Amino acid sequence: MKSNGVNRTLQAARTQELIYELKVQQAMTTKVITVEPENTMEDLRQILKLHQLSGTPVMNEGDLVGIVSVEDLIRSLLEGNGSEPVKQRMSANFVTLYADEPLVHAVQKFERHGFGRFPVIDRKTKELVGILTKGDIIRCMLQRLEIDFHEQEIRRYKPSDWFAELESDRTTLGLRYLIQGRNFQRAGEASSKLKQNLRTLGIAPEAVRRITIASYEAEMNLVIFTGGGELSAFVEPGKVTITVVDHGPGIPDIERAMQPGYSTAPDWVRELGFGAGMGLPNIKNCSNELKLDSKVGEGTNLQFTVFT
Amino acid sequence: MTLREIIETLQAKVVLDNHDERMVVERARASDLMSDVLTRVNPGALLLTGLTTPQSIYTAEMADVTVVCYVRGKRPQEETLRLAEERGLVLLSTDLPMYESCGRLYKKGLKGGTET
Amino acid sequence: MTKTLKDIAAALHLDVRTGEHLLARTVTGGYAGDLLSDVLAHARKGSVWITLQTHTNIVAVASAKELCGIIVVNGRTPEEATLRKAGEEDIPIMVSTLSTYDVVCQLCEMGVKNGEGV
Ligand SMILES: Nc1ncnc2c1ncn2[C@@H]1O[C@H](COP(=O)(O)OP(=O)(O)OP(=O)(O)O)[C@@H](O)[C@H]1O
Ligand SMILES: [Mg+2]
Repeated sequence: MKSNGVNRTLQAARTQELIYELKVQQAMTTKVITVEPENTMEDLRQILKLHQLSGTPVMNEGDLVGIVSVEDLIRSLLEGNGSEPVKQRMSANFVTLYADEPLVHAVQKFERHGFGRFPVIDRKTKELVGILTKGDIIRCMLQRLEIDFHEQEIRRYKPSDWFAELESDRTTLGLRYLIQGRNFQRAGEASSKLKQNLRTLGIAPEAVRRITIASYEAEMNLVIFTGGGELSAFVEPGKVTITVVDHGPGIPDIERAMQPGYSTAPDWVRELGFGAGMGLPNIKNCSNELKLDSKVGEGTNLQFTVFT
Repeated sequence: MTLREIIETLQAKVVLDNHDERMVVERARASDLMSDVLTRVNPGALLLTGLTTPQSIYTAEMADVTVVCYVRGKRPQEETLRLAEERGLVLLSTDLPMYESCGRLYKKGLKGGTET
Repeated sequence: MTKTLKDIAAALHLDVRTGEHLLARTVTGGYAGDLLSDVLAHARKGSVWITLQTHTNIVAVASAKELCGIIVVNGRTPEEATLRKAGEEDIPIMVSTLSTYDVVCQLCEMGVKNGEGV
């Protein structure tokens, strides 16, 4: 167990790392509201108010010619010059950032110049591609820290770790879901829960995607073609096995059912977005091993394995 | 293409507002049949569909689609909305039909990507 | 800038599965969708329909709405019965290996406009 103090120090260290890792373009706002040099300060006031900004770049026919802030506006209004053009008040001596610079440069420039925002330009084309405020930096960093934190949480749960602690010749975690036939309101719920659980268990996203796409296809087949059944997932180190069992009506010709495009779905199913005849082929593509047994009048037993 | 540009291009309504407009959408898929959507890898994709049932959300979830846009003015069913909210999905709705939606996004440079 | 099915088939490298002799038809617009009820309600006469559906009902829908032809996407194989019925009803069916999105993009590029409306 780490003490809180250590944790906090680690967090601070991570924040510093991030300032070096992240690029200006990852934090900047790309939708830039601009004004023209000939716009009046009154125009500026309305634009700033409308978009809730405290400053904006000044563009003349595609060229960045200045930057004007709410301070400039206040000064102008105090002097009663609302109708004067923006070019009278803007600072033409502005500092820009390149989109591919590390955020740390931006932080240094904020400190050095005391400006509230920096226009961001492309290093090659020199075109304005965004604008960066301190708020943008904070938002971007917080988002990143949150993602990092989430990933750490997940790593702590890595099944391989606690599997290793449980002594047995073969440890398996089983998850069972009951599936109702014909219930379209809930069709997909089991696979959705499974997906969340597999994520929590720290299984790689790519494998989770393949497992749950396949389980969802199988779940839909149960809902559409059968009276319902059971879907189980068995998680082991290195693989996840899914079994899907129902009690009828069974598949008369399995080889045919496995062919892309083959479907016996009625019209109403097609109107609900299924019946392309792609479910079973999808399951096959997503899995490393597949076994499908069926007896007409008795039921179907599908089992597939995905290596993780 | 950013979410903002997509909303503008499709003149779309934002049905569920839990998004960052600077979020980048890499490619688009247009389909009403869910197994089709599930045949491809879609991280960061936009799904244009006329299907508004809960399965439009479950499908997006399984296929890691991040933005769903209902075409031709369709609005999601209540259960659909609830599921999308729970999952933090972005839901849009445009009055344009699927054909026009694809065409406009294409003209703005959004890729499709037929390759599997 | 009117386009015929023939122009489209050539430009998009479509595999014409049936209705070769009908390709002189003018394409008045495009309609994309896989829900038959939608197509029935909204596709405009003379449009070409882009879909990944392959079962026989697509012919009935195309025929009822007087669509000029069907483009089946994702390289799907139309069922035998579908092709037979299409032959009887004079509905050309062509297959593209591209997705709906990509087919529509190419049609737009050629100037085929949205074909919605009654
Ligand atoms: N559990 C099952 N019980 C009975 N029949 C089934 C079962 N699963 C599949 N089938 C049969 O196999 C056919 C092919 O299934 P598949 O999942 O590939 O396509 P689909 O469900 O018809 O369409 P899609 O999956 O594209 O929505 C189905 O149309 C159905 O006839
Ligand atoms: Mg299926």
